[in-house]
Amino acid sequence: MSNKVFTDATRMSDNRHESDAIVRLSGVYKRYKDFEALKDINFAVGTQEVVVIIGPSGSGKSTLIRCINRLEEHDEGRIVVDGTELSMDIRNIQEIRKETGMVFQNFNLFPHLSVLSNIAIGPRQVRNIPKAEAEALAMELLTRVKIPEQADKFPSQLSGGQQQRVAIARALAMKPKVMLFDEPTSALDPEMIGEVLDAIKELAQEGMTMVVVTHEMGFAREVADRVVFMADGEIVEVGTPSEIFDNPQEERTKKFLSQIL
Amino acid sequence: MSWIRHNLFRTWWDAVLTVALGAVSVWAISSLAEFVFVTGRWEIIEVNLKLMLVGRFPEQHLWLASASVMAIAGWMAAAFGSDPRRPEDVMSMKAKLWDTTQRFGLIVLLGVTLMMLAGLQESLPVVAGIIGAIVAGRLLNLARRRMSWLKSWPGIIWHLVVVSPAVVMVSLTLLNADLELWGGFLVNFYIAIISIVLCFPLGVLLALGRKSSLPIVRLISTSYIELIRGAPLFVLLLLAGVALEFFVPPSIAPGSIFRAVTVFTLFTAAYLAEIVRGGLQSIPKGQLEAGKALGLPAWKITLMITLPQALRNVIPAQIGQFISLFKDTTLAGAALSIVEVLKVSEAITKQDDFLGKGYIYESLTFVALLFWVGSYVMSRESQRLEKKLGVGQR
Repeated sequence: MSNKVFTDATRMSDNRHESDAIVRLSGVYKRYKDFEALKDINFAVGTQEVVVIIGPSGSGKSTLIRCINRLEEHDEGRIVVDGTELSMDIRNIQEIRKETGMVFQNFNLFPHLSVLSNIAIGPRQVRNIPKAEAEALAMELLTRVKIPEQADKFPSQLSGGQQQRVAIARALAMKPKVMLFDEPTSALDPEMIGEVLDAIKELAQEGMTMVVVTHEMGFAREVADRVVFMADGEIVEVGTPSEIFDNPQEERTKKFLSQIL
Repeated sequence: MSWIRHNLFRTWWDAVLTVALGAVSVWAISSLAEFVFVTGRWEIIEVNLKLMLVGRFPEQHLWLASASVMAIAGWMAAAFGSDPRRPEDVMSMKAKLWDTTQRFGLIVLLGVTLMMLAGLQESLPVVAGIIGAIVAGRLLNLARRRMSWLKSWPGIIWHLVVVSPAVVMVSLTLLNADLELWGGFLVNFYIAIISIVLCFPLGVLLALGRKSSLPIVRLISTSYIELIRGAPLFVLLLLAGVALEFFVPPSIAPGSIFRAVTVFTLFTAAYLAEIVRGGLQSIPKGQLEAGKALGLPAWKITLMITLPQALRNVIPAQIGQFISLFKDTTLAGAALSIVEVLKVSEAITKQDDFLGKGYIYESLTFVALLFWVGSYVMSRESQRLEKKLGVGQR
């Protein structure tokens, strides 16, 4: 893993690394009526970097990650993904969504499509790749997440862990530049968490750029290049896993970690 | 024995209910059987069978109508039914036989009854043709599933190919046989099937329109739906009969069957729209988000992700609406003086031989039987479809 450019918050805005940042949020606010879900978020993800976002529920982690591909609309500030700024322009939004893969807490697989079609639908319908080619790609990805034998089944016939791996393959099929994981293991039975985390770890080792929202602290420590701690809609602290977990600076970080570890 | 004791006579109250309901059922079934096999004077149907089924449909074009029915049967046999998708859907020979009996037993029974009433000579060619078409359709269906070059055809092309004979025959019949002469059950059947085919896309479009982000489209769809649903069907049919004369000179005014089809289509579409809208609302938000996250444009998300799931979820309600439409075609007789089967069934009781002898019972029972068998088949097939598409239910 090269290119671990950003090791702390201050260097994020360093101009020399501008071109390396694939996702950049500056001064981002998100409000629901009177409630500020995100307050002045400044944050960048470098190429091939793995950023893990942790924090108590309601801290805005999911909102933040969902703003990156416009599942939520931010009210203020700028979000730039791979050189394209998120604006009201639908073409920009589509462009960004093509380059970002997302994995949801509840898998959100398409229940009326076979596993193979679930994965192939993105390349076929968005990138206009021919059917045979898209299905070959889907098969390859299924092999990568270790369930090629499930190709012709339907999502409901799979275990939670298998479904989430299909969801990962579905996102990868678009050959995204960034992968967004929104609590990918929170809806899983404990015995299935490991297989999904392994798949994500493998991706990280292959150099995929990722932003992961999770409650799995062991996983965060193992794969993260940087850990972001959020609370009350703000980024409280950013650092390497050892900085955050072994030597947290902020009171809120300390309190959170003492509660969950 | 223990099953009887457990389910029918567990408490004294159960016993009373069992005996009472049993007595009522025995009485009901025996009086029905008595009517059907002993007291019923079916000669009125026997004599007028052709009138009941096709009215005064021109004799020289009757073969077109028969060929249409054959083509439709062949299409259905070819287009529907496929290999079970899950291992648990594979049925044993015995289960399959029982299933087929349930599905088609009544239709076959009705067919045999009609053949007996019509006489073999008249009916045999038609029946043989229908059976032939069904066998041909099944063979085509089998070929589609087994032969690789056929398998590779896109589904849409396949469906267009197998439906084309039916469309051609129906169109030929419509073009050649003077519509004003059509009558009997054939009219009900044609009005229903054409309206069903036409109202479905309109209903889906209205449902999407009502959920559209464009205010004008939403307003038009909503007003249309609420306006139509606010009016009684019979009133709309009557209006179609008279109101058009205000706008169109009588010489070029469309015929009453055309008007009936229009009203049934517009009417059912409004109800269908609400059913489909309900289905769309039942789709979890995550489906939309997953589609968006992949970068699918909004129209593809609707067409490929939310709509197919929504339609599947509301199959029972949709078919229910179609069954309603099928039965409501009997209103067209009274409202638009179309000589459909109900009208015929009344008219024949006024023939010299039957007048004033209460033949209306036999006549109406026969009409009810025709509709009942039709509705049963639709309802039964809807359950089947639901089960088949239920694959992947979360």
